[in-house]
Amino acid sequence: MNAKASLEYRTPLKWGELDPHRRENTKVGMWAWLWQRISALAIVVFLVLHVTLTYKPIIQFGLLLFVAFHAALGLRVILLDFNIVDVKYQRALVWGLVALGLLSMGIIWFSIY
Amino acid sequence: MSVRAIRVFRYDPCLGGEGGFEGYSLDIPDESNTTILDVLLRLQREQDSTLAFRYACRVNMCGSCAMVINGTEGLACKTNVSDFPAGKEITLRPLNHFPIIKDLVVDMEPFFKKYEASLPFFEPKGEYEEPIKIRPDAAERVDIGLATECIACGCCVSSCTMFHYHDEYAGPASLNRAFTLLADSRDALFDQRMTKVLDSCYNCRTEFNCTEVCPKNISGTRAIKYIQRLALKHRNDKDPAAVPAAVPQPEPPTMVDRRSFLRKVGVGVMGLGSALALGGVLTTTTVGPTLAETPKQWIPVGELKDFPDGAISTRPLKYEIKSGIYTQPVTMPVLISRQGDEIICFKASCTHLGCIVHWDDLSGRFRCACHGGAFDRKGDVIAGPPPRPLDRYSFRVDAGTLFVEVS
Repeated sequence: MNAKASLEYRTPLKWGELDPHRRENTKVGMWAWLWQRISALAIVVFLVLHVTLTYKPIIQFGLLLFVAFHAALGLRVILLDFNIVDVKYQRALVWGLVALGLLSMGIIWFSIY
Repeated sequence: MSVRAIRVFRYDPCLGGEGGFEGYSLDIPDESNTTILDVLLRLQREQDSTLAFRYACRVNMCGSCAMVINGTEGLACKTNVSDFPAGKEITLRPLNHFPIIKDLVVDMEPFFKKYEASLPFFEPKGEYEEPIKIRPDAAERVDIGLATECIACGCCVSSCTMFHYHDEYAGPASLNRAFTLLADSRDALFDQRMTKVLDSCYNCRTEFNCTEVCPKNISGTRAIKYIQRLALKHRNDKDPAAVPAAVPQPEPPTMVDRRSFLRKVGVGVMGLGSALALGGVLTTTTVGPTLAETPKQWIPVGELKDFPDGAISTRPLKYEIKSGIYTQPVTMPVLISRQGDEIICFKASCTHLGCIVHWDDLSGRFRCACHGGAFDRKGDVIAGPPPRPLDRYSFRVDAGTLFVEVS
């Protein structure tokens, strides 16, 4: 027998693995990142629909919604990257820019339809 | 009496396996004066002496007792029981992304391996007799601020979702260390350090998880963005001699593990998806309109009085067909047969192979010069190969002008 018993380490826990509080650990910045990726995919889908089925209000609405979302969250990253807004306002920046995006989307929507 | 339910992650290296949570309950009389570390110490002394955790200073200075407390990374000695709503269960879990040695004790080896990537030491530019003076209000001192206060507890790395997915990613703590030295004008290793850490910075997805959990209120994200801006500022003044010739690259993995396989599949699916989407858009925009039915249009042929009764008149019909992105001009003779009130507008195209037919007054029939096809006054076939009568245009008379409908 090997005198020095080699003890097995457990493989590292992944983020959120076995974590009953996973949701509490999902912070707003993470949602901002996730939603920008989701909206990017949604834009591809809605863009195809928009070109094939032109001027369907529901498709236009969806496209506008996701573009507004994607642009707002993209602006967030740009503002933080270039230190135009201090990182300590990063939480407010997510809500503020998304609200601004949805507001401008609403204005565009109601001025068209 | 205030009894708290406490769940602690247990892993016994002698037993191996996945490990799991074990529940305890503890009477805590004064929650605002009891830290999570106190709880662990009491559990170990009073209930389970095999419980393993790591601590040293007990006053937020050493960073040994970092763990995931109710889903958020933090120091056990800095978190009070009263930070959580009264009666709420407390769940303690080891840090993410590090191999677990026992219970809450993790192997910090990967952390310090990544830490070395930032060259975490100060290298003076030369020999100095006197200390270099950096004023407290100098821009670089203000920028670095308290980022040097990092205690390397590993909370930021544990909270970072990207650390797991990018093997070459140095992580927030290492990059924060690099930032404090890159921003320091006294340091001699600017180019080497920048070369080593810059690529790492692009693995950051601006999620701010590291900033949210840092017990010292340092922002890893800010450090990463600062390095990127610094690289942008210094993009032109690179001295080629100062840059090390070759940075050793990690060896490519020989075995295809599940992660890289899934990544490849993911890239493939995404690529295919985008190609299909792009192809769909291009196809529908370029080919679609060509396949679509051309809109019908009414073309004026001439004044009704100009078509003599009982005769067949031939008029050229000029119009345009919009096909996709180009417009095709068409000139096509139309044959107008008028007998009293009955008007028929024939398309002057033989139904056999499309040659132009003309009216032969002598024989009283439409004749095609190509293969001897012949049609009577009503357009019905009387000789030759045409399979069906002459095609007719629909027409209307509007204010004395004859219009035919073409498509």
